[in-house]
Amino acid sequence: MSRRVSIFIYVITAVFFAFFFAYPIGHTVKEAFIGADGGITIGYFVELFQNPIYVEGLINSFYMGLFTTILALAIALPLALLSNRWQFPGKSLLNSLILVPLILPPFVGALGVRQFLGQSGVLNSFLIDLGMMEANAPFDWLGEGRLFGIVIMNALHLYPIAYLNISAALANLDPAMDEAAENMGCHGIRRLFRITFPLIMPGMFAGATIIFIWSFTELGVPLIFDFSRVTSVQIFEGIKDLSGNPFPYALVVVMLVATVMFYLIGKALFGRENMASSGRASTGRVLQKASPLVATVCIGAFMLVTGIAVLPHIGVVLLSLSNDWYQTILPTALTGQHYTDALGHPLTLNSIGNSLKYASLATGLDLVLGVAVAYVVVRTKLPGRQLLDAMAMLPLAVPGLVLAFGYLAMTREGQPFDFLILGENPIVILVIAYSIRRLPYVVRSAAAGFQQTSVSLEEAAQNLGCHPIKAMGKVTLPLITANLIAGGLLAFSFAMLEVSDSLILAEQQQHFPITKAIYALISSLGTGPNLASALGVWAMVFLAITIVGAGLILGRKLGALFRV
Amino acid sequence: MVSIRIRGLVKRFGDVVALDHLDLDIEAGELFFLLGPSGCGKTTLLRSIAGFHIPEAGEISFDKQDVTKVPPHKRETAMMFQSYALWPHLNVFKNVAFGLEERRVRKPEIKRRVEGALAMVKMQGLGNRKINELSGGQQQRVALARALVVRPRCLMLDEPLSNLDAKLRIEMRSEIRRICKDFGLTAIYVTHDQKEALSMADRMAILDGGKIAQIGTPEEVYRRPQTALVAGFVGETNLIPGTVQFESNDHLYVSTPLGDIVGQCSVPNWSPEPNEKVILSVRPECLSIHTTPPVQNAMKGYLKESIYLGETAQYSLLAEGLDELIHISELNPRRVIRETNEPFFATARPEDIVILPAP
Repeated sequence: MSRRVSIFIYVITAVFFAFFFAYPIGHTVKEAFIGADGGITIGYFVELFQNPIYVEGLINSFYMGLFTTILALAIALPLALLSNRWQFPGKSLLNSLILVPLILPPFVGALGVRQFLGQSGVLNSFLIDLGMMEANAPFDWLGEGRLFGIVIMNALHLYPIAYLNISAALANLDPAMDEAAENMGCHGIRRLFRITFPLIMPGMFAGATIIFIWSFTELGVPLIFDFSRVTSVQIFEGIKDLSGNPFPYALVVVMLVATVMFYLIGKALFGRENMASSGRASTGRVLQKASPLVATVCIGAFMLVTGIAVLPHIGVVLLSLSNDWYQTILPTALTGQHYTDALGHPLTLNSIGNSLKYASLATGLDLVLGVAVAYVVVRTKLPGRQLLDAMAMLPLAVPGLVLAFGYLAMTREGQPFDFLILGENPIVILVIAYSIRRLPYVVRSAAAGFQQTSVSLEEAAQNLGCHPIKAMGKVTLPLITANLIAGGLLAFSFAMLEVSDSLILAEQQQHFPITKAIYALISSLGTGPNLASALGVWAMVFLAITIVGAGLILGRKLGALFRV
Repeated sequence: MVSIRIRGLVKRFGDVVALDHLDLDIEAGELFFLLGPSGCGKTTLLRSIAGFHIPEAGEISFDKQDVTKVPPHKRETAMMFQSYALWPHLNVFKNVAFGLEERRVRKPEIKRRVEGALAMVKMQGLGNRKINELSGGQQQRVALARALVVRPRCLMLDEPLSNLDAKLRIEMRSEIRRICKDFGLTAIYVTHDQKEALSMADRMAILDGGKIAQIGTPEEVYRRPQTALVAGFVGETNLIPGTVQFESNDHLYVSTPLGDIVGQCSVPNWSPEPNEKVILSVRPECLSIHTTPPVQNAMKGYLKESIYLGETAQYSLLAEGLDELIHISELNPRRVIRETNEPFFATARPEDIVILPAP
């Protein structure tokens, strides 16, 4: 492609990012530092850190992020090690099943958890049936340890990201590294700590970063668990009276600074990049055939984790099917009514249509931008192309909540971008928000495609008289279709599930996307939770198909999509 | 140092038989080479001796001790990997010290021995370097130091020079041989480079299809190959099919498409009967080229190509009744024959013509 076209792509992307990434963040930061008199002040931050409620929120958020990350790694690491070493029956199936939890919006799962652990939930009913608990004094599991509940919920949702990253890091490790250690007399756990872990640390860190940022700013789950003592919820609630209240701005800035700080500290501690393996691998990794005992352990571990992780999903399915489920282990009466109701309810039917519309438009925008950016980064020698790459990956490192808040702030009445809200319709800003957030996945998969496809294939076409742009269309794009489909599917399904942007930016009922509709239904009385569950199940079924499709197409490379 | 004894070793990967009831004895202090075409099982054999593969059947002993079931970290072998497998998160010193730390050697002793090992491979003073700051040759020497510093019972080298450029490779050949001999190490060296094997080995084994095709010193293997495969794999050769006529005074008279040829047979426990099909192997440098028919072993053909290489001249003859060209290599040529498509005669002494069983 000509240099002019490359520069054009570069400029367009840079402008897009300047307006819809840098500007909203900058605007929020600016608001946080401008006092009532219009002068610059740090007064809000001083006040914020003196307010015990906000300080507690920040500490809780930090714990939420930290413990979720540790728990997710603790779940994923042993599984990845087992899968990297042993060949056992049903492995490929178990390997895909283990990823399933990623597809459920965790805050719908939280609804299921509430059904299990609530005061009149399944666990208490079970314990009462066993005679281990007084029926009139049920224990409040979630009330006593809500942060704990949120951490478990988040970890069970996010561990697949750690699993994919660690698996990819292990797969890239030259098996001779481990063999050399064995050969020198270093074995078992000792070898893991001396050789394997240090070498896969960058991959592990990449996964951990995403999980930390994700859970540190998680909004949906604490909202469902009614746990308002975390910063994300405090920001969400502060939005209701944004005019004249500077604290949400200040909180967002603190959150952003904290994210960047944790990332840099982590990078300095664990993310050193000198781990690139030297030389070429002498032997392919040969998986050992597991003995019956080891196979049982492997299968058991995979089934156990998957089983526990899908419990909330099962809860949601049961909830969506139940007519009456209160103080019993299983629902007393089942019905398919909610599914038909869910599709008949004006709110839900509308929201499905809206989400499809928003997500498809966002995915389309992502594909165009992603292919263009990946092309410039991989195939041209344009100075500053690495910067473009870094820029396109940045949305992974910035909490969705921060961006969503920024969009809200910059499209308020009287702001320069308020024209993007077309008469209360948030479609433009939502599509932009979704696409910015998911662009990294598409750029990564497209870039992987370009890297795998030798440039000489295109040159051969040009050599035979084909115009460069036509050559790309006729040769390269067809070859990287699989990558584009996979990246697009991921972008699409995550857009369908997006929480922060959807909850914050969609204000009118007729414009609600699925997630906001579910949130609205949960909060409503009567069969609301059942309807919300039914809608959640529709979303699950739909997304299961897309993720499994992406997994089949990309295989192990799926892990590369979740790296900063 | 140990002697190594292998009996009836079998290793399968799925349906592929990598090692097929293989027997082998390696003597203590010997620099032993495993050679063969790719897929012959030589790396599998090496890795089985190191313990990375558990054989389906058979036995491996170090001295008199059966180690077949001993895991790799307890075998006290030291392997030098083809990719070197230097750990990038540790510096040069830490890489070399690793095996000593695992053996619970005391700190000052570790320092002394690591520095000694680095000096031996001419890497002294580079202990603080990171692995990715080293050139390929330096990495190779660190890998060698790491293997040697633990004073292994057996040193294993898996194509250790394959990533180096030609000049460095020749330098390192004599370096590795010197170090092995200085330490009196039993060493097993896998390569597919026959020059490396011929120039370094005490003895070598040529593997084919998971079995040993021949064992011997470099001279034995080169001068007296026992199968057509060995003859073709170690060095170049001309293979000519024929039928035995009779035997006389240790010489076999064989009729071939080129006429009657006299040669010798040195395959143990095999003396071909008259009318048995055989293969004749003649090295190009054993053949000489003439314009008039020689008295014995005259092979008539038409000159197809002549190449002058300075120290040698190489000729290709097209002989009637033979599909392949006959290659002749003349050392120190005074004059190169350029008259292509003219008839010429090649000949060789009977003791340079090796008679092998037809496959």
